[in-house]
Amino acid sequence: MKFLSIVQLTFRESLAKKTFIAFFGISTLTCLLFIFALNLDIVDGMQSSVSLFGAEIPATFDLREIIINIQSAVAALLFTGGIFMSLFATSSLIPTLLQPGFIDLFISKPVSRLEILTGRFIGATLIVACNILYLMIFSAIILLFKTGIWNWSYIVAGFIIVITFMILYTLMTFLSLLTKSGPFSLMLTYFIVFMSPLLIPRDQIYALLSSKVYAYILDGLYYFLPKTTELGNLTRLIVGGQEITSWMPLWSSLLFALFILSVSTYIFQRKNF
Amino acid sequence: MKAVETFNLTKHYSRGKVKALNDFSLQVETGQIFSLLGPNGAGKTTFIKLLVGLAHPTAGHATVFGKSIKNYKMHQHIGYLSENHRFPEFLTAAQVLYYYGKMSGVSSSDLKDRIPKLLKQVNLTDWTNVKIQKYSKGMMQRLGLANALIPDPDILFLDEPTDGIDPVGRREIRDLLKALREQGKTVFLNSHLLSEVERVSDEVAILKNGKLLQKGRVEDFISVKEQYQVKVISENNKINEISEKLSIPVSYQNEFYNIAVQDDAHLNKFIDSVRRESITIQAIIPRKISLEDFFIDVIEDKNGEVK
Ligand SMILES: Nc1ncnc2c1ncn2[C@@H]1O[C@H](COP(=O)(O)OP(=O)(O)OP(=O)(O)O)[C@@H](O)[C@H]1O
Ligand SMILES: [Mg+2]
Repeated sequence: MKFLSIVQLTFRESLAKKTFIAFFGISTLTCLLFIFALNLDIVDGMQSSVSLFGAEIPATFDLREIIINIQSAVAALLFTGGIFMSLFATSSLIPTLLQPGFIDLFISKPVSRLEILTGRFIGATLIVACNILYLMIFSAIILLFKTGIWNWSYIVAGFIIVITFMILYTLMTFLSLLTKSGPFSLMLTYFIVFMSPLLIPRDQIYALLSSKVYAYILDGLYYFLPKTTELGNLTRLIVGGQEITSWMPLWSSLLFALFILSVSTYIFQRKNF
Repeated sequence: MKAVETFNLTKHYSRGKVKALNDFSLQVETGQIFSLLGPNGAGKTTFIKLLVGLAHPTAGHATVFGKSIKNYKMHQHIGYLSENHRFPEFLTAAQVLYYYGKMSGVSSSDLKDRIPKLLKQVNLTDWTNVKIQKYSKGMMQRLGLANALIPDPDILFLDEPTDGIDPVGRREIRDLLKALREQGKTVFLNSHLLSEVERVSDEVAILKNGKLLQKGRVEDFISVKEQYQVKVISENNKINEISEKLSIPVSYQNEFYNIAVQDDAHLNKFIDSVRRESITIQAIIPRKISLEDFFIDVIEDKNGEVK
């Protein structure tokens, strides 16, 4: 299938980058650490001792709680470092696509520009998903063997992390189409990721504003931009099996992604190469 | 059906400051090798880019085999070699042809026998499984050509196909293009190598500053009307006498007499007279100029006319 070949090629192109190999290596190391450094002695279905790197952890905790804490730590690591590495590694995919001589090879084939851009996008997401889910599923299985505890929410959290990457990647795709520069788009994406949390306590800013219009603008901006911090919290709550009070960060960020992707497609359709 | 037909095709860049193509109307017959000539920056590449969908026309429209260029689906009939193609460097030739072949909609089983054949055709068999990082410019160009051929297209758009290719390779490509024409395919070439164009093309068009200056059959452009080159056994003063009597301008150059006659009857009168003197005629050839001479004439001639 024509569309699939675009996805496949993007996947291979990402694999050729050292970053993903490094990512894969780190994931594998983390899992090895779980296999060898984490010792759980289970007697009659109850743990008698838990040790990490030989140091005993007081057994006053519930075993399930310990597992959830470990999984939360992995999820938090992936949500921050994992997504950062993924964005870094995929930042050149769209600028490369736009290069003269490279784009020609795609557009002259019987595939639409929409297919080319989404194929590229899905290819990037796919390799990131593989990397993230590899670590999550592999580590979950190790923990299952060691403790007999399986936490589905941990896997669900993995998907939320992948979705967060996707949301941020739409932003980066959009910026790459405008600037044709991978590093610049990456920086700008991160700038937005770091600045958007400032909008969370906007209630406190309102008091300082001279006009109500600014409040509306801030409010609008908050709901428009992807809510990375809130998605991070959501991931943590999901791993812990806690009650989710609001899915708004997820769906509003997805709407943002859909909007940005549509605009990007429009820009890409109209481009002259 | 025409292979290519354009109607006042126009492309401006930089908000109209650069007029890369201006009201360009052209028809290319099916089954021909057609060459588009023109100095640097004339708009040749722009023209091909519009046809394969890389750029959108500012005005006008075009069809390839009767189908609008706006529809990407018609690309399945097209093979395209771009001026500066760039394949992913970590792939081998076989992998390049596999991925881009798939993108062209060729099935895996077809690709399996087509890839080795194509690589053989462009003389890259020994390099099938070598990463293209290691390729020379000419080898990249050959691979580009193979990529253009992978969908078994009805029309090929080749932008400077022999760029960077050695003389032997150029001849191979010429032969390949002729073979493709035999199969009924249409070839559209952009080239600066006029001696090469002259050897393969059926028709040429000359473009300058985005405007069409000339279009026609190569034969018609390079043959000079009513001028012939006559070869006789040895240089003979009688020829000059005869010419003078028949008032035919004559000159002797490289063992040939160049004569300019009024019409066929005039030419035959000349031949009769020569034969009457029992001079042995070895050859009578219509005089031709090179395509290069013609090209330079056209380009310089119209210099003042075109902005
Ligand atoms: N993307 C672009 N933006 C602005 N101007 C452009 C662009 N592409 C081409 N041009 C201009 O359009 C004109 C035609 O360029 P084109 O590449 O079609 O020429 P060409 O005939 O292929 O030349 P060459 O023989 O050097 O390959 C040139 O003046 C060029 O500067
Ligand atoms: Mg060109």
